[in-house]
Amino acid sequence: MTGPLTTEPRRVDLEAVLRELPGSPEPTTQPGALGRRLELAQLKRAAQLLGASRGARLADMFVLPSAPAEAGGDGGLTLHLVFGLDQDRRYLLLQAPLSGRSYAAISEVAPACFVEECEIFELWGIKPTGGHPLNRVLLAPGADSAPPLRSGSPGAPRSRRGVPTEVRAPHVVRGEAFEFPVGPVRGVGQESLYMGLVTTGEEVLDAYLAWFHKHRGIEHQVVGMDPEMALFRVERCEGPGAVGNGLAFARAVESASGIVVPAGAERTRLVALELERLYNHAAAMAALCQSTGLGVGQAQVEIILENFLRLNAAVFGHRYLFGVVAVGGVRRGCDGATLSEGLSALCASVRQIGSALLGTNSFVDRLEAAGVVDAEAAARLGLVGPVARGSGADLDVRRDHPWSAGDSHSGLEVATAVNGDVLSRLQVMLQEVDESERLIHRWLQSGELIDVADALPTPAGPAPERGERRGLGWCESVRGEALSWVQLDHDGKVAGARLRPASVRNWRAFDDALRSRNVFTDVAIIEASFWLTVAGFAR
Amino acid sequence: MNVLESAAPNSRPVPVRWSQNPKADSVSSEVARVSAELRETISRLFGRSLHIRTIDTGSCASCESEIRLLTAPHYDLHRLGLFFTPAPRHADCLLVTGPGALAMDHALQATYEAMPDPKIVVTVGACALGGVFVPDRFTHGGVGRLLPIDVVIPGCPPSPLALLQGLLVGVDRLHASINPDRFRFSGASRP
Repeated sequence: MTGPLTTEPRRVDLEAVLRELPGSPEPTTQPGALGRRLELAQLKRAAQLLGASRGARLADMFVLPSAPAEAGGDGGLTLHLVFGLDQDRRYLLLQAPLSGRSYAAISEVAPACFVEECEIFELWGIKPTGGHPLNRVLLAPGADSAPPLRSGSPGAPRSRRGVPTEVRAPHVVRGEAFEFPVGPVRGVGQESLYMGLVTTGEEVLDAYLAWFHKHRGIEHQVVGMDPEMALFRVERCEGPGAVGNGLAFARAVESASGIVVPAGAERTRLVALELERLYNHAAAMAALCQSTGLGVGQAQVEIILENFLRLNAAVFGHRYLFGVVAVGGVRRGCDGATLSEGLSALCASVRQIGSALLGTNSFVDRLEAAGVVDAEAAARLGLVGPVARGSGADLDVRRDHPWSAGDSHSGLEVATAVNGDVLSRLQVMLQEVDESERLIHRWLQSGELIDVADALPTPAGPAPERGERRGLGWCESVRGEALSWVQLDHDGKVAGARLRPASVRNWRAFDDALRSRNVFTDVAIIEASFWLTVAGFAR
Repeated sequence: MNVLESAAPNSRPVPVRWSQNPKADSVSSEVARVSAELRETISRLFGRSLHIRTIDTGSCASCESEIRLLTAPHYDLHRLGLFFTPAPRHADCLLVTGPGALAMDHALQATYEAMPDPKIVVTVGACALGGVFVPDRFTHGGVGRLLPIDVVIPGCPPSPLALLQGLLVGVDRLHASINPDRFRFSGASRP
């Protein structure tokens, strides 16, 4: 690398990088996102150049069938890399058709995409050459005899039998350490997850996580569906993140179809998104109290949580805000009077309990220096959301990637903390509660929201074009940046979809957090502070 | 301020005016009615002790959230004589969420078989009922084919109140299934 080492993000010299890559511009470039088509052999070099400029963040990587009309596509597969150019306020999407069944491992130069490389191998049988041995991520060992994802497609069928030798068996532990298995059936009301905690007795030395028990293949189930019907499934990929993931998906479809969402509808669904943030942060606080054995605090926060959920139901008709977001707007308006009446009192209660918790030494002692993710790891693993901000990363999609020109998040103050421990993440969440409350009140006062009694406005914009269309959607969900990529076919049905909830990103730092000199009882505390869902990862 | 201080009974730390609106009141009175009925039934039939185990077979995590809220102050399952237990061997009732992901098959069967008889299975949510997913290479599309289901609680997700009502039905089913003959040692046929 040339030039002085610096931790300050710089603007990517994008033009210089693109000059080095003799690809053709992707025709479906959209506002806020730039497309570029490359040769497969150039992808790794591109990732290296972008990674070296320190302003580009590898946000996602996936494989989808090429559209039949694409040059070189002919029913094959295309590898996609999505970079977030946060200083430039746009995304860069690199696409390269896959010619064989392998590609040069991108994770060698951009470690953030290691999990995605494992996913691609399991789902499509395409293997990275070089790089690390792969882990089991989405499919359970022995699931390989299932029918192929897409018959007749040359890249897709997976005919592997048994567990391939190149898949690392993660349970070999040397020395005096042993693997303490937890799960997949865990505590009451917890999601299924296998955690292999490597220990010599008390301290967690290492951890192996297996998320595949909950894999439902939602990305594959939505193929062939109407976008509206697909949205129903997408919301159910991660219930406590339904608005965030649904919004990213709806935006991808809107971007692909050229639908312009009316300003009032856009703002109404942003209200739902902030309400989702509020109740999730309350739920995370309740889980933190529970895991630290603070029963009184837990009960107090659970009262607030239940009241947030009841407020959601009163304002939008659903406790978890399912069915609020629709392709092209919202499916129902919000009850603004009830919202403005209930919101302030609930947020004041969160603040009161938050300050009480931060003033309770026995609580704070458990949080400090537990589950540390340092800034370097957060950047290397491509973390997003409160977990990244707790480690000092100044990244918030609401500010860095405004969806439209008239985006409503002006003046957003992004909360960050520097220590990267559980306490930092709690502090970030508490500050975000204030910010969400401020945003909702501002939108309520603007009078632009769609009321529950109003007729829903119809989306504007040109009539949807015929032909294959593609679009990228994003938003700052509760757990961080949610991305979605949608390909529509001639009839407007979903031809291919990629969902990337924030949980997909942030789980990969969980074992790093566990390794930072923690004991068994810290595991639940760290899990509560990450506040991720297995469902979002396994989708 | 110390959190314990803030929890003193007469300093009400959570001033929630919204909960006084009529909709919330109707929920609260309904919770009270169902709770009273459940408490009476459990106390009569099970001596205030019915134990519940939960298992997730691929839910979206909302059902789990609602199940956790059953122990929160608004609902407080424990006062009714219902308890969550981490051990299936202590459980009388299995709450199943999710559409039955294939990878959970073994864990689901092992959990069910570890529970002593008599036992009931209560499915929670639309996924477990078969309303969201279709059978394919990833899920069974519902848990109906995997276990004998006693009670189905619909909803996406079912609210804690719906869960309480479902448990009330389940408790009656469990009572109906308890037959003194089942506990009589009947010789070699018993494993």
